[in-house]
Amino acid sequence: MILGIDVGGTHTDAVAVDLGSGRIAAACKVPTDHEDLLSSIVAALTDILGQVDKASVSQLNLSTTLATNAIVQGKTEDVGLLVSAGPGIDPDNYMLCRDYHVLPGAIDHRGFETRRLDPGELDRAVAACRGHGCRVFAAVGKFSVRNPVHENAIRRQVNKSGPADFVTAGHELGGRLNFPRRIATAYFNCAVWRLYNTFADAVHEALDRLGLGHVAVNVLKADGGTSPFVLSRRLPVQSIFSGPAASVMGIIALCDINFDSIILDIGGTTTDIAVFASGAPLVEHDGIHIGSHPTLVRALKVRSIGIGGDSAVYVIGDLVRVGPNRLGPCLAAGGRHPTLTDALNCIGACAHGDVQASQQGLAAFAQERSLSREALAQKAVDFAARAIKDEVRDLVREINERPVYTIHELLEGQRIVPRKIYIMGGPAQAMRQAVFQAFSLSVEVPGEAAVANAVGAALTRITRGIELFADTEKGAMFIPALGHRENVPRTYGLKDAERDIKNQLLGHLAELGAPADASAFQITQASCFNMVKDAALSGKNIRVKCQITPGVVRTLRR
Amino acid sequence: MLKAGKRLGVVFFPAYDWSISPTHPEREERLLYTQDQLKEEGLFDTEGVREYKPKVASREDVERVHFCFPDVDAVATRSHLISAGGAMTAAGLVMEGERDRAFALVRPPGHHAMKVVHGSRGFCNINIEAVMIEWVRENYGPKRIAVVDTDCHHGDGTQDIYWHDPDVLFISLHQDGRTLYPGTGFPRDCGGPKAMGRTVNIPLPPGTADEGFLMVMERVVMPILEDFKPELVINSAGQDNHFSDPITNMNFSAQGYARLSEMLKPDIAVLEGGYSIQGALPYVNLGICLAMAGLDYSCVREPQYDPKALAQEPRLSEYIKELCDLVPGVYFHPPAESPDGFEAKGWFVRHKDIFYDTDGINEAQTESLLLCDHCRGLVKYESRSSKNPPCLGLDLPIKACDRCRDMAYKILEESQIKGGYRYLQLINRKDRDYLRYGF
Repeated sequence: MILGIDVGGTHTDAVAVDLGSGRIAAACKVPTDHEDLLSSIVAALTDILGQVDKASVSQLNLSTTLATNAIVQGKTEDVGLLVSAGPGIDPDNYMLCRDYHVLPGAIDHRGFETRRLDPGELDRAVAACRGHGCRVFAAVGKFSVRNPVHENAIRRQVNKSGPADFVTAGHELGGRLNFPRRIATAYFNCAVWRLYNTFADAVHEALDRLGLGHVAVNVLKADGGTSPFVLSRRLPVQSIFSGPAASVMGIIALCDINFDSIILDIGGTTTDIAVFASGAPLVEHDGIHIGSHPTLVRALKVRSIGIGGDSAVYVIGDLVRVGPNRLGPCLAAGGRHPTLTDALNCIGACAHGDVQASQQGLAAFAQERSLSREALAQKAVDFAARAIKDEVRDLVREINERPVYTIHELLEGQRIVPRKIYIMGGPAQAMRQAVFQAFSLSVEVPGEAAVANAVGAALTRITRGIELFADTEKGAMFIPALGHRENVPRTYGLKDAERDIKNQLLGHLAELGAPADASAFQITQASCFNMVKDAALSGKNIRVKCQITPGVVRTLRR
Repeated sequence: MLKAGKRLGVVFFPAYDWSISPTHPEREERLLYTQDQLKEEGLFDTEGVREYKPKVASREDVERVHFCFPDVDAVATRSHLISAGGAMTAAGLVMEGERDRAFALVRPPGHHAMKVVHGSRGFCNINIEAVMIEWVRENYGPKRIAVVDTDCHHGDGTQDIYWHDPDVLFISLHQDGRTLYPGTGFPRDCGGPKAMGRTVNIPLPPGTADEGFLMVMERVVMPILEDFKPELVINSAGQDNHFSDPITNMNFSAQGYARLSEMLKPDIAVLEGGYSIQGALPYVNLGICLAMAGLDYSCVREPQYDPKALAQEPRLSEYIKELCDLVPGVYFHPPAESPDGFEAKGWFVRHKDIFYDTDGINEAQTESLLLCDHCRGLVKYESRSSKNPPCLGLDLPIKACDRCRDMAYKILEESQIKGGYRYLQLINRKDRDYLRYGF
């Protein structure tokens, strides 16, 4: 039995899924207490454990807004942020906090140290941070994913004057190139570290109290995967914005998605749009923004648009519009301004709450604007469906116009052509007809969509993406995320790199006590360049990326 | 957060699956470290800077400019069509107002490709700037355009294509032809009889550093541009003037290139040569991008930059000063007669012997301009090479008069009847009539 808990903005949803039969054994919904997330989790667990035997529970997957809230509400800790920048864009642009120190030192794009880190400056910077009371530190170097020597030196120096509580080294966040994002990600990772770990301890205590001490705990990430709790304690930043991922993964568990598809999660305030290519969810190319700061935190490609059940209906001239403002609740739920839900009530697409209130309210609203109630309601629903369609079209175009770097990909690259739409969320069933008319594509509304997010949380598999970089002229191979560096012979090739990265990733997950399904292993990018010096081959420059593909451990049987 | 003062579009296409040969300077690895640097700097996260995917130039786009013998497919591979398409994409971004400026960071280059193409010379097959310019003129109307070529090698291809076009000002800064391929590009070469002074060559001595380049920009290039008032400024942004370039002898730096771009303010920049792929390109390209976007570039420095070792010798400074006194005259007071060629029966004729170094082809060409009082004149190209039998190309400009047009069709008809040419091609920009025979 796997438990899935999704701590959402309003409700905390929980389910217990029986892995053998693929059925939902228990489900519940409790209000979320933002001041005390743990109490919401405990309440949900208690409810579930009233329905299933605790001994049969082997795993708990948790999607929480803890780290997100901490950042949004500024409940973060002071971080000593030490960077080695080298030449390029002025690093003063990336000053994220008071204790930000740019240290002289440089690594170039090949990973050669072109300027040594100044030990005196480093010493002074660490002392200054300590003087300000910093207990967590981020060490970030430009091109540290090619050569982490400066980040390692910073970490050593930080720990020399008495161990720091926690140090994030930039290269551990993954091998992707982007210095400003590495700085921001390392900073946020440190800033929420203590809060997150305190919470993790409390979760473990609570599980013990509930008699679930034996249960393996995984945490949902924004990229549509989970991470073992032990790992997420070191990388808490990965747990932010996991909410949309829970819903998207829920759809995968509920439906058999094979084609290029669009997922619409229509909520109260917004509609989240996700895109599937040949049945697999698309992951954002770069990473999410935290506030105005782009980061390296991978996330499913989800676009939000301000149209939901509680979005206000307006009339501007001849045009009937819906959203992006939320003026809910709807009239049917005792609100004061007609919303999309009221319009859906009026056209008979659903019967939500007090249908008569919707009809009377919308009629009055329409009359003031010399329109008939039916026409206004229909126009509002059509507008909403069309707005969603336009956004989907833009998103798909954006994906298809993403830059590529080989002639082969440019001329023969895969294009996404959506063939099916899946809708979930409160107004899903009600919007079905309008969405079908706007898109002229087959539309499916999965049953049990109400707890899809918790089902998604429960069934999502562990994922991890890592990168390998090898330079046979230097005779070195490096996997930044694992801090793994080894010497390789001049004959080292792409095949060797692909084998090594696979072994390293699977080994790493097994070590964490979370062995991955090798069939979900995927090489996502592999390239090998001849390096030439004085018109002769001097070595090979090899880059490989791989991941455990986002997916569910099994689909739900209905 | 960083915010660009000018919205910049970067069309980045490194063609990671194409090379002339595995160890050739024009190989897969060429833009690898540039991409690493731009990614690591987070350039495309900067507000106002965006990356774009190139379109692919069509055969028609190439045949609007070139006479390719025997045909386009024989001289241009898909990589050339993408690199020309990348330049077109960059131009489209600016022409449509989506971006204030654009940089086509594409390969392979194109500025050695001339009007007639039998193969590859100087790593170039089709002239990507010219394909772009004529695409702009076809879609957005005739424009006054300035091309400033800052590649270390003379842009002899672009010069050849626009030799007779008074609406395109071509300025080339390059290492003196007496010391470097292709051995041309002297101030006396200043354009055909109808476009005198619209080709400006500035040969710089080996060892020219930031000081010299920026002096030429300030004293020669900028005053000429101010007078010409182009509607579009294009920079053929070759990066082989860099002090670390393996096949040239100049001392220009990333800071210098960035400053040059800042002064020139090109609407569109197109990458040309530059083969110091580790020591120069990552920094020069970053510097150019930042300068074009109106961002601070003061911290962009090559690790091996040594100001003392790269200081310009005083005698070079003196020489460049004299050059700066002399060269503006080429534009402001061009000579009465074109230096190259002679008049015969109402035509102005030039003979050219062209060597295609990359492909090892020799071409003998006769270029004849119909001397016309009503327009810039029809141009006729008679060409034969070690690869192709005699071929004929006729180029009728957009603003051609009726007499020139009639003459073009008359020559085409006569040549077909008489035979003697294996391939015939007409580029009629006036009526957008493009004809090919014998293909």
